[in-house]
Amino acid sequence: MARRRKSTRREFLKTAGAAIAVPYVITSNALGNADTPPASDRIVMGGIGIGNMGRGDQGAFLGRSDVQYVAVCDVRAGFREAGKAKVDEHYKNKDCASYNDFRELLARPDIDAVHIATPDHWHAIMVIEACRAGKDVYCQKPETRTLREGPLMVEAARRYSRVVSGGSQRVLEDYRGIVDQCWGGELGPIKSINVNVGPLSQLCNLPAETVPPDIDWNLWLGPAPWAPYNPARCDGNFGTSGGSWRSYVDYSGGGMTDWGAHHFGGATFAIDVREMQPEEVVYHDENGTQHLTFRYSNGVLLHHNRPNSGNLQVEGTPGEKRPAKPVPTYKGEGGIYGDFIHCVKSREKPFRDIELAVNSVMVSHLGIIAYTLHRSLKWDAATQQFPGDEEANRLLDRARREPWQL
Amino acid sequence: MLDQAFEALKTYDWGADPNVLKPIDDAIVASHGNADARRQLETRLAAVLTTESSRDAKDFVCRKLMTIGTAASVATLAKLLPQAELSHMARYALERLGVPEASQALRDALASLSPELQVGVIGSLGVCRDEASVPALAGLLSAADAAVARAAALALGDIRTLDAAHALSKIDAGATAANGARTDAMLACAEALLAGGNKAEAMTIYKSFTSENQSKHVRLAATRGMLACAGKSE
Repeated sequence: MARRRKSTRREFLKTAGAAIAVPYVITSNALGNADTPPASDRIVMGGIGIGNMGRGDQGAFLGRSDVQYVAVCDVRAGFREAGKAKVDEHYKNKDCASYNDFRELLARPDIDAVHIATPDHWHAIMVIEACRAGKDVYCQKPETRTLREGPLMVEAARRYSRVVSGGSQRVLEDYRGIVDQCWGGELGPIKSINVNVGPLSQLCNLPAETVPPDIDWNLWLGPAPWAPYNPARCDGNFGTSGGSWRSYVDYSGGGMTDWGAHHFGGATFAIDVREMQPEEVVYHDENGTQHLTFRYSNGVLLHHNRPNSGNLQVEGTPGEKRPAKPVPTYKGEGGIYGDFIHCVKSREKPFRDIELAVNSVMVSHLGIIAYTLHRSLKWDAATQQFPGDEEANRLLDRARREPWQL
Repeated sequence: MLDQAFEALKTYDWGADPNVLKPIDDAIVASHGNADARRQLETRLAAVLTTESSRDAKDFVCRKLMTIGTAASVATLAKLLPQAELSHMARYALERLGVPEASQALRDALASLSPELQVGVIGSLGVCRDEASVPALAGLLSAADAAVARAAALALGDIRTLDAAHALSKIDAGATAANGARTDAMLACAEALLAGGNKAEAMTIYKSFTSENQSKHVRLAATRGMLACAGKSE
């Protein structure tokens, strides 16, 4: 009987190759090294909205060795192509996918997390859809455009146990000095803080111009009322007094929410009311000068544009020093971006957890409604309504243009 | 000043200075607490919607009726629902009025609208948490138009009553183009039922999402929901 010859390793691989799927090349990128986790340990990310702020966010995540950036989405072809080019340059390949429609990016099962930096009127829909798709989310501030959106975003995040971080790096970084003073106890019980910010956004009525070929105008508008294209309507510059989407009521709350998200975020952090919502907004009109006072249930006041008061100016209780409290801070390394990635891995709530973000941005929205109606308001956090105030309750939200809904 | 503003509204269009309409905003603010003044303003504004004024002018009117509109304006606004250019802005007002006539008008419009506009009205009924629309929305869960089916599922999730939950549970999970929306809507119903003390119904919903063919985050949501029903935290 002939002895069966043992196959050589080469013969084995040749015959087994059809049955065994092996990578053509196992790259060092996949395996990782001392500086870079293996591919299986990296958070796979995509970006939605790669304009002014989106480029910065993209750069921060792309620069992390524990992130694998795989896709960009933007309704402007130029931003999309530039975003893809940046990623391809970083990885020295052509692998970054690019999308016009965010739903296609969210449908990718390989993407773990997304960062969102679209105009504000898109934030809620995208955050909620991302949660429904099982993604963790980093969303630029202001996280909401209306009061109704916030609780629904929190609900989606909690329902699916998603890590959802708002995006104000300034809350912890720019206002650290006043935060440390307040939390350090040297100012005693805090009575009030003031925020100077504005203006409110305005109705846009710019004339129609021809839609350029590189923008999907219908998708840029999304849930906002239809309006003709005008470059100044959708420009992403940081102005809030005209000539940018940040100026206009259908896309933004103006400076009140834009810089307001930072300042009110810092203020509510300093006076330690991030986990609370105001009970009342008192509207003052003193000889034509309007300003507001937000009152919290613990008696602390948050003023808006109080005459003769500086921004983040605190009123403490001299002589009544208190024990210091530890100041919450980022987890992980790399500022607010590192905090988000750390929490994606650990499943902890990030520093600007969506619920805290909603609580601070809501101060802006409550203020806008008070200024719009020219009067004081009461707010019920349990019901998320202005109790018994039908006129104010109408301003909690605005109908979204079909086919968009939360 | 107010009369001048209404006159300007007749020729108002994109590119015009929006400040010419400011007296209307001022009159709205000034009429707070004065029902007669509000009614007069509302009547003047609603009348613009029946004229040949521009889309932009009618857009402005709908924004103001969102603030001061009453049941008296519902019929005029409802006539705009079938118009592709004005349907959304009609809902901009109707969705926020908070009067039963507005919800009725939205319900009544459903059957006669194109799928594209139906989606918007469905969304508004969901925002209004209009329980009376549950039967109609249930019927749209299996609509041929995927966007309509999806919108109906999400709206039932907004309404999140027991009837809404039952309607969602009756459709074949795999058959509808709105599967993801249906899942989210059912989980929303389960949360509401649990919060209302109906643990048994909530548990039934959560159990239906624990199979291996569900996405991991959906199974996680269902598992956490079941723990909550059992009075346990993670």
